Amino acid sequence: MNRSTPSGLKPVNRARFSILEMASRASTLLSAVGLGAFVVLAHFASASVFRSEVMAESGWQTFRAQYQIDYFGTDGQFVRAIQNGYNLVFHTHKYAPRFTRRGPADQVNSCSGCHTVEDLAYAFVNSDRFDPKVQKRVSFEERVQRCYIGSLDGFAPTIYDPAVRDIRLLARAVAHELHLTEGAMRKAR
Amino acid sequence: MTPRIRLFTKVFVVVLVAGVFYGLAAHKHTQREQIRQTRVALTPACAEKLSRYALAAGEQYRSPYVLKQTGGTVTLRGYSEEDVRAIQRGCNIISDTQGRLAKDVSRERWNTTRFIRGTHLECDHCHQSIGDKQDANGNRLKGSLNLGTSWVMADMYDRFTGLLLPFELRQMQCYINSSNGYKPNISDDLIRDVTAYSRFLSAALDLKIGNHYEEQGIDEIAASATEKQGDDYVRGEALFKGKCMHCHGRQAFGREVNGQLIAPAIAGPNAWNMQSRNYFHYVSTILPGFICRNMPLGQENTLTNQECRDIAFYLSNLPRPAGDRQGPLIALKQQVLMTAIPPLMRLTESARDTGITVQAAQQHNQ
Repeated sequence: MNRSTPSGLKPVNRARFSILEMASRASTLLSAVGLGAFVVLAHFASASVFRSEVMAESGWQTFRAQYQIDYFGTDGQFVRAIQNGYNLVFHTHKYAPRFTRRGPADQVNSCSGCHTVEDLAYAFVNSDRFDPKVQKRVSFEERVQRCYIGSLDGFAPTIYDPAVRDIRLLARAVAHELHLTEGAMRKAR
Repeated sequence: MTPRIRLFTKVFVVVLVAGVFYGLAAHKHTQREQIRQTRVALTPACAEKLSRYALAAGEQYRSPYVLKQTGGTVTLRGYSEEDVRAIQRGCNIISDTQGRLAKDVSRERWNTTRFIRGTHLECDHCHQSIGDKQDANGNRLKGSLNLGTSWVMADMYDRFTGLLLPFELRQMQCYINSSNGYKPNISDDLIRDVTAYSRFLSAALDLKIGNHYEEQGIDEIAASATEKQGDDYVRGEALFKGKCMHCHGRQAFGREVNGQLIAPAIAGPNAWNMQSRNYFHYVSTILPGFICRNMPLGQENTLTNQECRDIAFYLSNLPRPAGDRQGPLIALKQQVLMTAIPPLMRLTESARDTGITVQAAQQHNQ
């Protein structure tokens, strides 16, 4: 088939075509490199997020004794997750810096600025209930996500993130010590 | 077609596809919201169970079970209309996972059959009495896989996965392995409604968060709990034929009569897969525990520990679907076995039966 075109148009079209083609190839290459970089980053960055080592912050030993955490063992994945939950609740800006804009200088920079651990335990056993304000059933995890976004002026972790999960586990451990049943109501203080 | 027109066409197609996808997602979202607002038609078992536990919308909840068992009352936070419907739907899903009693499975059971490959298995087969098995006096039974107790002990370290396993992820595993299917999303109503029902059970039974109760999970039977005669395929086969075959069928592929499921498959394409904890070669303590505590129906706790292990060992040597960790070659092998073995077994058994009949006739003539 004769693909020739009138002279004068041919060089312009070819140039345009080659620019578009180059742009297309470059974007494909960039996408592939970006995807690869994301995979590598996710792999190495997740090591620090899902680590099992936990720093002992001040007050942990008192909390541990007060709420009988040793019932679940002196150590182990569950106990370490509770300890991480403790760190998150009392030192949020230090342990969840990705999800809050609050810093050490802010007056309220942690969950403990608004909630006690017992508040969290009662919230846990009363979660997954219909909230008329948002017209849907709200889980404990969604409530924590909203705190990160609103009260802590930050961003929502995923439901799987230890920044959410470990707060739930802390609430569960405290609920155990308080002998709470599902739907337990707090007596007026 | 000039390159510019081609580019515009591509962009148009992408925008069109995205628009259609968005429209479809918005439609499904609205449809789900309508389903959440719709009155729930309970299965007979759920109607009985939930009325016995006095589930109703109100400011406070007091469990009749607690009153009956302890003589005292515990006042808990009540449920809204939306919460009640979620609990009812969750109960229906456990009681009738395959939607045999539903007019429309996609609307009444959140499309459960999409997440299960076989046509037999239902949550209630393992979590009997809708996840809350009791004796005539209302005592909860040891190792009965009670869902309320599972909820209060959720999030603990799981030795099989090496995870702190939330209740939702555990349900996903049930869909993938025990139902040989696919996992729903963690936020899917299918998962959330079952969680709502399980949480309600824990309230109705007054279970304390983090406490261990003996009706939680399975009363596992290790080899050390037997006389250590060794798990025996031959003994297992004989026991299966005597105790189980009548309901589960000659080859354990389940039994259906006129579309009614008499007993589910415990081998073959409709059964749990090789990655399920019920698979003896993967976890050797769970299936024997289930058999001893729950089978045969009406004669529970009559088999010895060794007999339960023998039956479990025999069953796990029958063909069943491969799990997600076995890979395509094993999956293919299992498919071939599931197709080829049943006719071969029928042939062998009919030949054996014929031989026995001829032998008996000869003896009779002599």
